[in-house]
Amino acid sequence: MNIIAVLAAFICGLPILAVAAIALGGGSTDYLRHLAETRLPTYLFHSAYVGLVASVTAAAIGTGLAWLTARCEFPGRKFFTWALILPLAVPAYVAAYAWLDISQAGGPLDRMSWGLFPTIRGTWGSGLMFALVLYPYVYLLARNAFTGQSADAYDAARTLGASAFGAFWRTSLPMARPAIAAGMALVIMEALADYGTVAHLGSPTLSIGLIRAWSGAGSLLDAARLSLILVVFALVIFGLERHGRRRMQVQTSSGKQRPARRFLLSPLQAGLATLAAFMALFLSMVLPLGRLAWRALREPVANGLAQASFNSLTVAGSAAVIATLVGLTTAYALRRKSVLGTAAARLAGVGYAVPGAVAAVGVIALLSGIQRWLDPTWESLTGSVLPILLTGTAAALVLAYLSRFVAAAISPCETALARVTRSLDGAAKTLGANTRRRLLAVHLPLIAPGVASALILSFVEILKELPATMILRPFNFNTLAIIAHQYASDERLGEAAAPALLIPLIATLPMIFVARYLSSSGENGARP
Amino acid sequence: MKNTLTLFAATLALAACNPASQTSDSASAESEGRVVNVYSARHYSSDAVVYAAFTEATGIEINLIEARGDQLIERIRADGERSPADVIVTVDAARLHRAEEAGLFAQSDYSEFADRLPDHLIHPQGYWVGVAQRSRVIAYSNERVQDGEITTYADLADERWNGRICVRSSGSVYNQSLLASIVAHEGEEAAEAWAQAIVNNMARAPQGGDRDQLRAIAAGECDVAITNHYYFAMMANSNEPADQAVVEQTTLFFPNQDTTGAHMNVSGAGIALNAPHPDEAREFIAFLVSDEAQRIFAEMTNEVPAVPTAQWDNATLSAMMPFTQDDLEIAELGANNAVAQRIFDRVGWQ
Repeated sequence: MNIIAVLAAFICGLPILAVAAIALGGGSTDYLRHLAETRLPTYLFHSAYVGLVASVTAAAIGTGLAWLTARCEFPGRKFFTWALILPLAVPAYVAAYAWLDISQAGGPLDRMSWGLFPTIRGTWGSGLMFALVLYPYVYLLARNAFTGQSADAYDAARTLGASAFGAFWRTSLPMARPAIAAGMALVIMEALADYGTVAHLGSPTLSIGLIRAWSGAGSLLDAARLSLILVVFALVIFGLERHGRRRMQVQTSSGKQRPARRFLLSPLQAGLATLAAFMALFLSMVLPLGRLAWRALREPVANGLAQASFNSLTVAGSAAVIATLVGLTTAYALRRKSVLGTAAARLAGVGYAVPGAVAAVGVIALLSGIQRWLDPTWESLTGSVLPILLTGTAAALVLAYLSRFVAAAISPCETALARVTRSLDGAAKTLGANTRRRLLAVHLPLIAPGVASALILSFVEILKELPATMILRPFNFNTLAIIAHQYASDERLGEAAAPALLIPLIATLPMIFVARYLSSSGENGARP
Repeated sequence: MKNTLTLFAATLALAACNPASQTSDSASAESEGRVVNVYSARHYSSDAVVYAAFTEATGIEINLIEARGDQLIERIRADGERSPADVIVTVDAARLHRAEEAGLFAQSDYSEFADRLPDHLIHPQGYWVGVAQRSRVIAYSNERVQDGEITTYADLADERWNGRICVRSSGSVYNQSLLASIVAHEGEEAAEAWAQAIVNNMARAPQGGDRDQLRAIAAGECDVAITNHYYFAMMANSNEPADQAVVEQTTLFFPNQDTTGAHMNVSGAGIALNAPHPDEAREFIAFLVSDEAQRIFAEMTNEVPAVPTAQWDNATLSAMMPFTQDDLEIAELGANNAVAQRIFDRVGWQ
């Protein structure tokens, strides 16, 4: 089992290895020196800056909302519990196009505020856009942590005279810290890999730099080399996150002893809680998508949306299931702390910080390399040239998705598995439970919410993925993200509206299913 | 766990089969009728109309992949001799040049189009032909800029425009192409001085697309903007009152009319080196420069037709035409693109 997990994770990491091979293989160019003398410091600074703004803001929004929906009772809580995940289905570049349109000079917000509302632009603007649509990472993982926490520590703190906020800050929050950090790490990496948002809002990050190296100077070699910097970034973030998690381990309590009750808030507090949850949805979805829809009223509706919806749903659905399975097995491999398993998991994870266009190049190089290697054998066996099987089939797409997004599946599974402590496992073993029974009766109930999160996260990520889909897709194969982007990049926001609205709509399908499951497992013992 | 594995394998098989069945659909279409595989960096609604008209006229089905130019080039290059690509279409001169350098085009005899297309839109060795053009132009505020106060790209470098210019980022291939043309005409040093002056004169750090620059003029954030002509035309043809208001407050003109002509970027098409359907590819390219396709480009995308004699009905575009076009060799634009990129880096044009 362990070997299969390692192998699966390794395969997910292969495209990035192929990129590394491209980067290290070619001769020396003077482009990197030119870049170091001119723009490289700027790129590095803005990458760090955008990652910081995005992750800190997303952590504040996500943790706050997770606490509210997990531990407090307020009007609309059940709805918000799952609806707050939805902004994840809004591609960041779509939010950016809409927000710039609303807030720039002459836009409605600018006019309504007599020019006081700032234009959403630049690096801080990009950071805010990422926070608005990516906070669900933190929200989902932190919420799982909060609902899984025993109330003992919190109650003890209250008994010792801490205020409600003080008890949250000193007990619940520290216990959820690994989950929050895991969410923040995902936000940072996604912000680093993004191209569309930072390009439109004018933030010169490293991914801008490497696409420029490729498109402007025509040097794929230099682009691959620059992407290695992003890989290093990702490894550092992983390292920090793991370091924090190791320090936390002593404090994890063993499973659910006494599930927390939800608090009854005063009417004012409850109103504010509802307002906060509503604002998160309003700013990330209602306002930007509403703006697009408003523009759409005057435009013709794009063609081929039904087929594109079907394609999006099937490709994202099947790839997400695979990603989740890989994520789960990898999480188990990580739990064993084998060197090989950890290395494979990290390799699989770094793809998350690499722009999709670069990951796609890795897939192309890898598959054409394999094909070239197979050619002689095939020819001697069949006497004909090996047909083009690899690039341009769904296999290429699925591999690209895995290399990009398997981190989004590994993290939640890993976090969830931390709830199954050694002592719990040991107790089950002592009571005579075999492996199968331990997995089904002990592990499954504890990790199910985490696995569900992994499924949702990877599904939504793949649903909105753009650059790799564009280049690796088979003939005549459109997804909603592609159609939305083609109009938006041509500055036809109205026509981009329908596909951009359909993405969150499709994302709600699995979410409602999973949310129903989550709420049924999370409601136990939580009586307001 | 075994069940998990079975499920894993089943999903993998399902995922691999699903769109693969689509490919086999197209393969069966191939045995019944004629097909052409088009790799295009264009992505306009006009194209879908042109493709439908082509299939209608010839009975040849089109298999289509649309992606950014560099990525298309990379995919075709990696697929090598088994690439199914028949026709490669780009929207930018530098990409056309790069695909040619990468050896992706087959030579073909396009002399039959010599009386329809200008000389520089047919490749000397027959690698590609130009099918449509876009011009990089200047727009200014009717209120704050006098007619005739600015007539050339070089004028933008003047100190009087300090803090008054809006332009998008240098990541845009249109800006790269414009600067590449200045490098070709005036040399690298002069081009760098010009780019530096533009950066000094910017009203704000580059943000948004070309239309956003025009909107910024109307909103009073800047007085002049660099844009492609068809974004202005699209706004002029839009039903939206806000777009109409922008068009009413701004004037668009074609620069360098007394010197080199306005900068033109070219969307071109060529037959792929390993095209499995070269005859169909040839018919497809002939159709792109037919009167019918040219009319659709001009009417739906507001592009300047590659065929000057083509007839079309688009009042907005008619009002802009005719104008003096820069007929610089595409190879020059392509070769100078990397030079332009480095200039942008050095002068800090974001």
